[in-house]
Amino acid sequence: MTEVIRVDDFSFRYRDADRTTLKRVSFSVEQGSFFCIVGANGSGKSTLCNALVGLIPHYFVGKSRGSVRIEDRDVAASTIADLSRQVGLVFQNPFNQLSYTAGTVAEELAFGLGNHGVSRETMHAKVARVAALMHIEDLLDKNPLELSGGQVQRVALGSTLIMEPDILVLDECTAQLDPLGSEEIFDIVKRLNQEGITVVMVDHDMERVARCADQVMVLGAGRVRALGTPEEVFTDPDAEKWGIDIPDYVKLGRGLEDAGFGLSDLPVREDQAVGMIREALR
Amino acid sequence: MRIDLEHLEYVYPHGHRALDGVNLTLEGDQPVALIGQNGAGKTTLAKHLNGILRPTNGRILIDGVDLATADTAQWARKVGYVFQNPDDQLFLDSVRKEFEFGPRQLGFDQDLIGRRMEQVAGLVGLADRLDDHPFDLSPTEKKFCAIGSVLMMDTGAVVFDEPTCGQDKAGNDRLAAIIARLRDQGRLCITISHDMKFVTRNFPRVMLMQHGRVLLDGSREEVFAREDVLKQAYVTPPPITRVARQVGLHGPVFTVSAFVDAARRARAGAGI
Repeated sequence: MTEVIRVDDFSFRYRDADRTTLKRVSFSVEQGSFFCIVGANGSGKSTLCNALVGLIPHYFVGKSRGSVRIEDRDVAASTIADLSRQVGLVFQNPFNQLSYTAGTVAEELAFGLGNHGVSRETMHAKVARVAALMHIEDLLDKNPLELSGGQVQRVALGSTLIMEPDILVLDECTAQLDPLGSEEIFDIVKRLNQEGITVVMVDHDMERVARCADQVMVLGAGRVRALGTPEEVFTDPDAEKWGIDIPDYVKLGRGLEDAGFGLSDLPVREDQAVGMIREALR
Repeated sequence: MRIDLEHLEYVYPHGHRALDGVNLTLEGDQPVALIGQNGAGKTTLAKHLNGILRPTNGRILIDGVDLATADTAQWARKVGYVFQNPDDQLFLDSVRKEFEFGPRQLGFDQDLIGRRMEQVAGLVGLADRLDDHPFDLSPTEKKFCAIGSVLMMDTGAVVFDEPTCGQDKAGNDRLAAIIARLRDQGRLCITISHDMKFVTRNFPRVMLMQHGRVLLDGSREEVFAREDVLKQAYVTPPPITRVARQVGLHGPVFTVSAFVDAARRARAGAGI
């Protein structure tokens, strides 16, 4: 498998900050995989997202050490515009992502293409394609500021996808949505991943992380606490000390084992839990 | 504290009927969760409880007094409302000032404000941030600052609008502690939430809304037993409840220990 992200011994301290936000973080992400970053608030997850897309060091000033590589590029030595073809970030709050210069959703979607010398025809075609993908065709003439939170989140994701990045970085991008809206966004992300896009996702919903991640990385106080498959990470006896709410399925498995219901293994996903518990109750 | 809503209707100026005849009574100290999809009318309902919105039709009685006859100051003593977005609520230049503002408006004396400040700051985890500007707080801390400034007013009822949004485990644990404290103090806590794990862990009573109406109102056991209605309102039960149902355990189950008990009964019943 090809590595598309390689973070090597990376540390970062924001200018004027009294502590280092990321401390000697190292990991790699394989092409086409679904990589989740979890951890308590303040553990460095968003900072790491910023480092992956070049906002660190090109927008946020601070002191860094180590390196971040996206495909063949060293992030520090590339421009954000160059990186935007390879990696796109969807923010936690979609309103932070709007250009605030576009009068319509169509212009908002096309905004990033403006820096890339794309012809008008190509731009229209790309806007139409992304609008269809995000189910926002009927919003194209609307003012982005008049949309609901869920609609803005679709536009934000669409304006990232229009750049056709190989890697999508999602920083708690469904935190502002209700469960239905959040699942809709999430289904789109899953489909994109199945079509080959590498996904890096920050999320607090551990059941969802366990359901879709190939690899999970736990950050705590800026350091990598754990890295592995959902099974490896969430069934680790120390996992509850990492500031995350491990999936209920693991807690349920442990409770049943303690009560003498021998399960074949500790479940991390719903389908595993149902299968193992049915077996144990038989 | 007792709150009665009678035939409550609310139509927004642009014509959207957000509340379409809500009748309910909120009473006692058991925490109540208000659930349902966006647009169901939860926030509109909650904003009626402390007078941010006035009903188009119907009445709100607090301890038997019709709120239409009360002025805003009287109202503010009864029900505190914590906005979903703390930026809609915070406007002063220190956490301390935010905490002092409400009780000052209500005429609390400075000694009492000082004593409450200590308790509330500890409860919301901002004891060492009192002199900081709310802008310097993290999004989570801001949320707790907004909660603290409402708790300071010592109202008989408190409404939280989506308090878990963006919270991590520590934040959810702190919220659970605040909700338990309100209950222990005999104060009514009404919380809007989409997080069914959080709802079933912390709220013995649950109300489900859809299209401006209350579809279900009862104990969490009663509400989560109505799978058909939940499905129709796009509410997915929490993980443990879903697993229990799929493996055929009896009744809605919300905790690991309840699951274990139900599993033991199932095994005994099956003669294993």
